Formats: sequence, structure tokens, C-alpha cells
Amino acid sequence: MNKLIQNEMMKLIAKKRLIVIAIIIGVLVMLFTYAQYKQVQTQREKLGTSDWRTILQQQIVDTTNRLSSSRMTDEWKKQLQISLQQQKYYLDHDINPTEPGAPTFMRIFLESSIDLFIPLMVMVIASDLVSSEHSLGSIKLLLTRPVKRWKVLLSKYLTLCLAISLVIAITGILSYIISGVVFGYKGWGAPILTGFNVTDTGLNTSEVKLLSLWKFLLMDFGLVWFVAIVVGTLSFMLSVLIRSTAAGMGVMLAALISGAILSNMVSSWESAKYFFMVNLRLTDYMKGTAPPIEGMNLSFSMMVLFVWWAVALFVSFFVFTKKDVY
Amino acid sequence: MFHILTMIKLKKRPERMSFMNKNVIRSITAIAVLFCLLWLIGLGWAVGEYYAGKPEKVPEAKTVSKKVENKKGLTIVALGDSLTRGTGDETGKGYVGDLIDEIKDKTKRPVQLTNLGIIGQRSEQLRSQVQETEVGRQIQKADIVLVTIGGNDLFRGGQGLSDFKTDEIATIEKKYLDNLKFIFDQIRKYNSNANVFFIGLYNPFIELDQGKEMSKVVRQWNYDSAEVSAIYPKIVFVPTFDLFELRVNDYLYSDKFHPNSKGYRLIAERVASLLTW
Repeated sequence: MNKLIQNEMMKLIAKKRLIVIAIIIGVLVMLFTYAQYKQVQTQREKLGTSDWRTILQQQIVDTTNRLSSSRMTDEWKKQLQISLQQQKYYLDHDINPTEPGAPTFMRIFLESSIDLFIPLMVMVIASDLVSSEHSLGSIKLLLTRPVKRWKVLLSKYLTLCLAISLVIAITGILSYIISGVVFGYKGWGAPILTGFNVTDTGLNTSEVKLLSLWKFLLMDFGLVWFVAIVVGTLSFMLSVLIRSTAAGMGVMLAALISGAILSNMVSSWESAKYFFMVNLRLTDYMKGTAPPIEGMNLSFSMMVLFVWWAVALFVSFFVFTKKDVY
Repeated sequence: MFHILTMIKLKKRPERMSFMNKNVIRSITAIAVLFCLLWLIGLGWAVGEYYAGKPEKVPEAKTVSKKVENKKGLTIVALGDSLTRGTGDETGKGYVGDLIDEIKDKTKRPVQLTNLGIIGQRSEQLRSQVQETEVGRQIQKADIVLVTIGGNDLFRGGQGLSDFKTDEIATIEKKYLDNLKFIFDQIRKYNSNANVFFIGLYNPFIELDQGKEMSKVVRQWNYDSAEVSAIYPKIVFVPTFDLFELRVNDYLYSDKFHPNSKGYRLIAERVASLLTW
């Protein structure tokens, strides 16, 4: 088994996928760093201060005024109210929600890339793991060896899990190193609040906890990893089912993008919460924003993702061991 | 046992042979396994913390920190209702924005504005707003404080037009004056040096049928507000009633209640002429 994994790993590295992904992540992080830097600067110019309390107070007042506008959907209003209460809570407890520094940038980058960007990167690796063997013709060589088929597939799957772990690690390391140049490398111990509960009546702050940013980041990473594994397994399944890599990627891409669009408009279509793609934003539960559909929480989303994961894994192994290869 | 496949791969790309040795692969795999475990721990921790973690009491910041920043600029804090916000001004600036523009023309010092106006705010809401710690800190830093309040107490979105003759208006005014005193007390408590400009009310309904009677109520209201302002040092009551007395519709927005750009300009000019430095 170990040798099989080593072999798969070698193939993966030979394809230079990881390097390509690292370059993509690096470029994107640079773009975001610059964008954020510009944003901070314009804000400073506009308000004439860099004092976070003043800026936060101003944001609270601005949000309050936006809430009084009548042309606003109910969901949007609710989201604004929740973020307003959260901002007030931060201000009342004298905690800066966006402590400047590379760790905060990392947190924001992770939170905003969990539902589209990271899954896309994972897809790049996962979607041709099996189908490329078809197109190269090497699948026959692989399967004529005296090894059980499920072992071959398992080695591929485990390699995928390892590669995903590496991609997440690369994301973390690159975003820390690159953004640190601008924002500084400190801020691991900055306090951050978690445990906001979104209820029908608004935001429940009775269970709020104070965490160090590094702990919070490790949790965020864990959740991102889980999402990446699920998405990876799904595209792995497609790679087994569909011979054409491009078609498999297309299907997965469509699903991911539809998820990003759906979560903005499904609040009235309740059964949509069983789709995997509206459940990808796990880190939002840690942060405490309103879920896209009422009644969703961390364990619900993780359960849904787990079921999709299990089914995808089962289907891939079932099909791969049974199908005729020609 | 899979070396045949490896050989095929390597034969196709012989240039990789040199650096793709077994040790590199092995160490990359080992690193990947380590990260895999680390993320697994993070995941477990996140779930555990989300469900089992006990809430901690997060200390609340009660005291206004006495540390005043080393400032070179002019700090302006605007408190109040939609007039402070600039509702009705097509440019979105309101009298506060116009005033800032004028100040910037006259002085080279950097100007910092914190606009805390909330649309529809009444005196009791402002009363609770000035008690917030952070608002207190903002006032403490200020060189100039601008206040508009009372319009929503009196007019109540037009309802004021129907019941201004009743005794109720007296009770409302009494409450309002009480709140106003409290607000001024609070401002002076945080900051005894800043110049406070309290903008009076105008009568947007002056050209309606009951305009004359309404004007009387507004004048009384303004008179009492000016009396309250006079109790405190450096709180200046700025009348606006006369600005809107003739041709009120030229200076009102299409809602016939808030000023338009021209109306705000008038108020800003009046306040600007009172500024000292």
C-alpha cells in the first residue's frame, strides 16, 4: 500500500500540479493583499483616522441607517441586523474584529475562499486522477498488475487526501508570508470572539467565547480541510464515472458555481439545504453570520457533507471495481 | 511492484530523473501526512469547541480610556437625526458635509469627521446613544460637536400636524427638553472644551393650511431649546427657522420635510460663520 501511494504521489508531482496551484494561490494572495491594503488606505483617508474604534463606530451608524431604508429584502435586513449586533458586541467589549496583521488576513482569505476558490484548486488535482489514466491508456497497465482493484483506487484516494492537505498548507503558508510583507507578521495572539448564535429573534450572545486568533485559525483550517476533502471526493467520483476529464471538471464547476449563486437566493426554498454546495461555508458558523437557509447549523452542514462524501466514496469504489475497462 | 509504470513515466520524461528521487517523494509524503493530521486536529477542535466549549464571560469595556491621541487635526463629531445624515441632499453631504468643505477651504489642518447621525432618531434615542462608551470617547476627542435633534419628536413623521393644538404636545416637549438637558450634561461631562452647535428647527409645513399655528409651536420649541442651551457654557443654539421662512419649497426636498442641497447649504453657511479658531 505504501508503495502504491508513493507511486501515485510521484505521478502527481511529475504532473507539476502542486506547483501550478501554488503559483495560482501566490498570485491571488498578492492581488488580495494589495486590494485590502488599498481598502484600508481609502478608509483612512475618508475618515481621517486609523483608529479602529472610530471606524467601527462609524460602520455601526452607517449600518443602522441602511437598515432604515425600506427598499430591502427581509433576509438582507436580517443579515445586516446580525452583523450590526455583532459589531456592537465587539465594540462594547473593546475587541478589534480585524486586528491588523498577516494572521487576520489569513483568516479573511480562508473564510472567503472556502466555498469556491479552495474547492476549485482541489478540483484541479482530483478531477483527472482516474480519468487521465484512461486517456493516457495506462489504466490497463495499472489494472493488469496483481493488485486488487480497490487497492489501486484506495491508493489514489489517499494520495488525493494528502495532496489536499498540502494545498491547504500551501494556502496558509503563502497567505501568511505574502500578506505579512504589507501587514506585518504579528497578531497570532489577538483575541477573537466565537459562539454567536443566530436565532429567529436575532443574535444570541450568551454563549460567546474569547479565543486567541491562532486557535481560531487552526479550527478554520480544519473546517476548510473538511470541505476540501468532500469536494475532492465528489470530483474523484466524477473522475471515475466520466472518462473525459473536461466533462468531469465541467460538472463539478457547474455545481460549485450554482452553490455560490444558490446560497444567495434559496432562503425560501427549504429543501435546497440538502445540496452539498450550499453547505460549504462552514467557517461562517464559527464567525456567527446568518445561514443561507433557516435551521442550518454546523452539525447539520457537516452531516449533509458527510453523507455526500460517503455516497461519493461508495459509488467510486463500487463502479471502479465493477466496470469493464477496454 | 509498480516500478514498471514508474519506468514508463520516467522514460517518457527523462529530464525529471535527476531531482525526482525517492527521498524527495518520501519527504513530501511525510509532510503531507503531518499536515493532514494537523488539519484533522483542527477540525476536531472546531467541532468540540462549537458544541462543548463553555462560554466565558467576556469583560466589557466600561470606562472611557483617558488616552487622548496626539492630534494635529480638527476633530468634528456630528450627532442627531436625518439632518445630520444629509437625507434629501442629492450630493449626499448634508449640512455636515458642506460645513466640512468650507472648513477645509479655510484651514490647512486635516479635518476628521465622525458622523453619528441616525435617520429618524428622537431625543430619547440620542439620550441612550450618548451613553455608549465609544460615543463618549468620540465626543471626548472632539473640537466641535454638531447636534440636530427634536425634529422627529415634534413632527413625528407628519403626525405632529394633527395634534399640535392638544395638551399632548406640552408633555412631548417636556420630555424632549428633559432629554436635551441630559444629552448636554453628558457631552459636557465628556468634553468641557469643545464648541457645541445645536441646530434649531425650521417649519417645513409653513405653507400648509395650518402653517401659521404650527410655526408658533416651532418657535416656542426653539425658544425653549435655546434656553436649555444657554445654561451650558459654549453650547450655541443656531436658529434655522428664518432661513426657511420665505419660499420654503425652494429649499425642501421632494418629501417636503427634509432640506434639499440648497437648504443644507444655508444651514452650513450659518454654522460656518459661527466657527472660531
